[in-house]
Amino acid sequence: MFRSSNVAARIFERQIRTPAPGTSVHCARLFYENLVPSHTIYDVECPDHSFRKFTEDGHYLISFSRNNQDLIVYRPRWPSFCCKEDNCIHDLPQKAKRFESFFTELYTVSLASNNELICKDMFLYSESNQFGVFVTSTAPLHDAPSSGEAVPGIPSIDKITFHLLRLRDGDTLDKKVFHNDFINLTHNMGVFLYDDLLAIVSLRFQTIHILQIRDSGNLVDVRAIGTFCREDDELFLNSNAQYMPVSDQSQLNHSENDVETRAHQNPLYQNNTLLSGIKQRLLSFVFREIWNEESDDALRIQSLKKKFYFHFQDYVDLIIWKVQFLDRHHLLIKFGSVDGGILVSRNADQHPAFFAVYNMETTEIVAFYQNSAEELYLFFEMFCDHFHPQSRSSLHMNFISSHSNNIYAFEQLRGIKKKAIFTQFVKKMLGSLPFSCQSRSPSPYFDQSLFRYDEKLISATDRHRQSTDHPIKFITRRQPYTLKFKIKTGPEAGSADSRTKKISSFLFHPFLPLALSIQQTVFSQPSINIHFRK
Amino acid sequence: MGSILGDLPSFDPHNFSHFRPSDPSNPSKMTPTTYHPTHSRTIPPPDQVITTEAKNILIRNFYRRAEEKMRPKRAASEFLTQESGCKQPRASMTTSDTP
Repeated sequence: MFRSSNVAARIFERQIRTPAPGTSVHCARLFYENLVPSHTIYDVECPDHSFRKFTEDGHYLISFSRNNQDLIVYRPRWPSFCCKEDNCIHDLPQKAKRFESFFTELYTVSLASNNELICKDMFLYSESNQFGVFVTSTAPLHDAPSSGEAVPGIPSIDKITFHLLRLRDGDTLDKKVFHNDFINLTHNMGVFLYDDLLAIVSLRFQTIHILQIRDSGNLVDVRAIGTFCREDDELFLNSNAQYMPVSDQSQLNHSENDVETRAHQNPLYQNNTLLSGIKQRLLSFVFREIWNEESDDALRIQSLKKKFYFHFQDYVDLIIWKVQFLDRHHLLIKFGSVDGGILVSRNADQHPAFFAVYNMETTEIVAFYQNSAEELYLFFEMFCDHFHPQSRSSLHMNFISSHSNNIYAFEQLRGIKKKAIFTQFVKKMLGSLPFSCQSRSPSPYFDQSLFRYDEKLISATDRHRQSTDHPIKFITRRQPYTLKFKIKTGPEAGSADSRTKKISSFLFHPFLPLALSIQQTVFSQPSINIHFRK
Repeated sequence: MGSILGDLPSFDPHNFSHFRPSDPSNPSKMTPTTYHPTHSRTIPPPDQVITTEAKNILIRNFYRRAEEKMRPKRAASEFLTQESGCKQPRASMTTSDTP
């Protein structure tokens, strides 16, 4: 885009040339090739907190105390210092090389009390009103007594509390508590925030709770999808005699013996004779899909026997694992078997998973695919960005590189596709669906069209990675393909012991050339480096 | 020349020698060329309102595929004409409606 790589020449060129339509952000980002966090302060002395992430608008740095009971919020700022000497050597004085030069503590709030702990991996930010959602919970019980509608085999947590905080001053605005439930609280997996709608998946009771975060700071229940789909389903069923528990029903002379015996045999549905609302929608959709595949009635029935009735119990036993919003009305729900493991999605081969697109307004299932479906993979390849729905109020989050918006990421995907067996490749790619929200950093230094870097060592996704002693290089994608900056974790001279396993995590500011790299080992304190542009 | 640009230096003073700047006291009688349609086949309906589709392209695709699957299947012979040499996924697989 620019003819020269010199920043002054680029500024002059920017004065006279307008960017191509719709690319103003991309052209502005080109300047990040010139302003890079090339200077590192090694092993900064900082408070003993676990730093979680920068908020997407760059206003706050969220951290938790070591005992996971307090929240500490910092504001990132740029260091400034003054020199008394006449010719100041442009090196930072020692007193400026501190954590406090870069971050000001705003407040500390105690979120968890007694036996509760803050879930470190769970944090959601609502950019439009600067609200943060945090979760505290008590310890999980793995041998939970099954009760009523609870799915057996899933642990139970006594109390899970969702806190809505206004990050400007740390005030708790609202709370939502779940009792004797289980929500997957690692890495935002059991929740999804889109705009002002928050989806929480209760695995134990197989319900998707949709809450709305209002500007006034209230968490309002919108709907609960699971046993019931529409708001008045419960009222309708309760007023209908057939929905009585089995023990009552046996007193009536119903001819529903088959249903009763089946319910008795299946411990999941001892108290209900009806399947849950979402399951009914799913089964009827699968039925109609198979019915419409054939035009001849005899073939239809044969097809149904083979594909539907033979697997009927497997379909009934499917449970909701994970959910994401596709837009305000549509959810992408991942179904799987209980044995599949709620936390690990790696063994996709043994345990089939299914994806359903559900319309919350019409309460209909729109589409249903197995995790090996090529059609779904085709949509994933062409429209990956639409699987990360972004609210319009969010400026920075709309430009994160993916294989749908970046040619280099797409080339990478194509390279993997060529080398792999197609069915395995499809399962692996679809295994990342539904996506977790707010798990990628919007920093322009991760933009694949600006820099090339080793994705195994560092990437936009905030996960812990294997740490190396070698610095991670960021090389420009365009001419002259030079190394622009390096991120080195750990102490400057490298750690003395190269055999202990080290993991590192990176926190990049959304738009400033500022990053934190945290290297942790099992035995010693984490070592934090600050990378910034001097 | 009496223009508002004055006597600025130019590459070739004979450029723009035929140019007569428009004078408000003596309006030009030339009207610019206009084009009128000769038929009314492409006129939009009078109550047409153009808005952005609320559903994004991904969801539209889900609905379209679902509609295709849910439509009762027709005889196989009707599909033979469009299968030839079609390697790219077509935007729409539907042919004309049943006669």
